[in-house]
Amino acid sequence: MDYKTFRGGIHPPYNKELAATKAIEDISLPAEVVIPLSQHIGAPNAPTVKVGDRVEVGQKIGSTDAFVSAPVHSSVSGTVKAIEPRPVFSGKMVESVVITVDPNQSTPFGTVKDVSALTGDQIREVAKEAGLVGLGGATFPASVKMTPPKERKIDTVIINGCECEPYLTCDHRLMIERGKELVGGLKLLMRAVGAEKGIIGIEANKMDAVDLMSSIVSKEPDVEVVVLEVKYPEGAEKMLIDAVTGRRVPPGKLPSEVGVLVQNVGTAVALYEAASTGKPVIERVLTITGPAALKPGNVKVKVGTPISHVIEQHGGMSPDTVRVVMGGPMTGFAQKDLNVPVVKGTSGILLLDSETVASGEERDCVSCDRCIEVCPMFLVPNFIAKYARRGKWELADKYGARDCFECGCCSYVCPAKIPHIAYVRKTKAELAAAAAAAEKK
Amino acid sequence: MAEKLSVTVPPHIKGEDQIKTGMRDVAIALIPLIAVSLYFFRLNALVNLSVAVGTAILCEYVMRKIMKRKPTIGDFSAIVTGLLLALVLPPTLPFWWVILGVVIAVALVKELMGGLGVNLFNPALFGFVSLVILSQVFGFMNGYLGLGSINGVTSATPLTFIKGGVLNGLRPGYWNLFLAHAGGALGEVSVIAVLIGAAYLIYRGHIRWRIPTAIIATVFILSAILGKNPLYMILAGGLMLGSFFMATDWVTSPDNNIAQLIYGVLIGVLVVVIRLYAAPTGAVAYSILIGNAFTPLLNRVFVRKRFGAVAPAKVEE
Repeated sequence: MDYKTFRGGIHPPYNKELAATKAIEDISLPAEVVIPLSQHIGAPNAPTVKVGDRVEVGQKIGSTDAFVSAPVHSSVSGTVKAIEPRPVFSGKMVESVVITVDPNQSTPFGTVKDVSALTGDQIREVAKEAGLVGLGGATFPASVKMTPPKERKIDTVIINGCECEPYLTCDHRLMIERGKELVGGLKLLMRAVGAEKGIIGIEANKMDAVDLMSSIVSKEPDVEVVVLEVKYPEGAEKMLIDAVTGRRVPPGKLPSEVGVLVQNVGTAVALYEAASTGKPVIERVLTITGPAALKPGNVKVKVGTPISHVIEQHGGMSPDTVRVVMGGPMTGFAQKDLNVPVVKGTSGILLLDSETVASGEERDCVSCDRCIEVCPMFLVPNFIAKYARRGKWELADKYGARDCFECGCCSYVCPAKIPHIAYVRKTKAELAAAAAAAEKK
Repeated sequence: MAEKLSVTVPPHIKGEDQIKTGMRDVAIALIPLIAVSLYFFRLNALVNLSVAVGTAILCEYVMRKIMKRKPTIGDFSAIVTGLLLALVLPPTLPFWWVILGVVIAVALVKELMGGLGVNLFNPALFGFVSLVILSQVFGFMNGYLGLGSINGVTSATPLTFIKGGVLNGLRPGYWNLFLAHAGGALGEVSVIAVLIGAAYLIYRGHIRWRIPTAIIATVFILSAILGKNPLYMILAGGLMLGSFFMATDWVTSPDNNIAQLIYGVLIGVLVVVIRLYAAPTGAVAYSILIGNAFTPLLNRVFVRKRFGAVAPAKVEE
C-alpha cells in the first residue's frame, strides 16, 4: 500500500523496537529540581517566587505579560533554594528556579471535569495558563498557535503522531496508553480554532497505534486517522501538512497560511489534561533509549529533573556511552553536563555508543548532490555550507539558509561528512546579528 | 564518564556513504569494460592501465605531501582518474605519454586546483586533451592519436569513418560496436560493458539518468537531423563512456535537475558539431570539458524552487 508522504527525506535505521513496547513508567523524585524560567520560544519569563518561598505542585513560578510566551510552574512541593542562571540542554545559561524537593508532596489535579462546555477563548486561556507549548520539541506556545490571524480560516487540525525521529517512542506510547485523552485534546483544538476537520497522522511503523486510534475515532465523523509513509522528517510541520493535505506552506510563513493547525500528540494530551483537571505542564513523557541505554523505555518525568537522575533511575548507561543526546538523533542536543534538567520540550534521552555515533572527518564537498535530493525544503545544502564556510552569509542565505529548519537529512547522507547544520546555524546567527546592528543605526 | 562525552551539532547518526564508497563503486563499474579491453589489447592494455593507476596514486601522494595536505589515497579517486585516463587513450600509446597525461590530470588539474571537490575540470579528460594538444603542437604522437592512426595492434577509432566518408562495408557494424570490437581507445571497445557498469552506478545511486540521457538523446536527434547515421553516432567512439562515467562526475557537473538536462544537451550538441565539423576524435572529451566550464554558471542560474515557493530563488554573486 502507498502511504501519503512528502518529497525528499531519508530512511535512517529507526531502532524503535528498543522502547516501543515498554509501557510508560514513573520516575522517583530527585532531591532537587532546576526549572528554567523560559522553556518556550518567545519572551522570557520573570520569577514570581523568591528564594526561601514554599512552593506547591502546579504553582506558577514564572510568567510575563508578553503575548508570545508560556508561564512555568513548579513540578514539585518544596522550597525555593536559589534563582540563578543554570545551563540548559542547548548549552545556554538560563535563569532558573532551583527547588529543594519536600518528602511530602501535594497531589492536586485529581478531579476530572467535563470539558464539553468550554468555549474557544476559554480553551486558549487553559492552554496559556497551563504553560502549554509544542511538546514535540519545538516549544512554541500553544495558545499563540491557537490564535491564528483573523483573516485566516483554519479548517483542519492535524495531530502529529509521526514521531519520525529514530529511537523515540514516547508519542507512540501516548497514543497507545492515552488515546482517549488525545482525541479529547484534538476536539478542544478544533473547537478553539473553529476547524471542521481533525486528522491524526501516524507513520506506518506504528500500526497498533493506527488501529487503536481508528477504533477510538470510529464514532467521530469529523476525525480521521491518516497513515503516512515511514520516512524522516515526516513529522516536520510543513512536511506533515503537505503529506496529509497536499497544501504547501510558503517559505517564511506559518501553517495558518494554508488553514492548518498542527500539534504534537503529547501537546494534545496535555491540553486535555489541563482542561479537565487544571494540571499545567509540570511533567512529560519521554523516551530513554539508545544502544548504550541499559534499560530502554518510556518514562514520565517531572520538569526540572536532572537527566543524570533519569538515567540512574532507569537502568543507567553502558561504560561505552560516548554521546548523550536530549531529543532524537537527528535534531537533538548533545550534552556534556548531565545535570541539565528535563524541560517541557525534552522528548528523549538518547544514549549512543562509539559504534553508532556519527564520526568521520569533514572533507571538501564533491557535489554528489545527495543533500539536494533529500532536502525536504528543496534547498541547496552544499552551497549553503560552501558559502557559510567562506563567511558569505548573504549567499548562503540565497541558497536557503534561513528557510532551513535543520532536519539534518543533508548531513546524514553527506559522503564528505560536512556538518551542514553548524553552517546553517552560523549563517542564521550572523544574519540576525547584522540585522540587529542595522536596526541600531 | 563526562570526559568521554563528545558534543557536536546534530545529526548524531549518519549514513554509511563515504567518498570512497562512491569512487570504489566507479572502479567496480569499470571492471566489465576493463575486462573487454584486456581481452583485445592484452599486454598493451595491462601496461597502460597499471602505469596510469600507479602514477595517479604516486602523484596524489607526492602532491599532497608537498602541499602539506592530509593524504587521501584511501578515497579511490586517484585510482578512478588513472583508470579513466588509460581508458580514453589508445592501447599502443607508449607508457611515458600515459605518465605525462596522468601527471597533468592529478598533479595539475586536481591537486594544484585544491584537491578533489574543488577542481573545475574533469582531471582524466583534461589530461587526455592536453596530450592531444601537445601531440599536435610537437607532432610526437602521430600514429597514436588523431586521424588515420592504423597499425598492427589496433585500428583507428571508427569515428574517422563518419567524417572521412569511408564506405559502409569497412566500418564495424552496430552489433560489433555494441558488443565488442577492437578499435579506438581502450574504453571504446564495448558499449554493453559501459552500460553494465552504468547500470550498477545508477543502482547504487551514484549517478542519475539525466545527464547521460540528455547527451545521448541530443546526439541521436541532432545527427539524424543533420543527415548522419544517428545509431552509429551514439554507439561509436567514447560517447557512452563519456556520457555515463565522465559527464556524470560529481564534482564537475551541475547540481540542479534542470541544469543537468541543459548541461547534457549542451555537451550533446558540442559532440555532434565537433565530430562532424572539426576533429572526429576527442570530440566527447572536448565537449565535456567545455560543459565543465559552464557548470558554475548553470549552478548559479538554475536554483530550484523552494518548498511552497511560487518563484525560484535568484542568486547573484
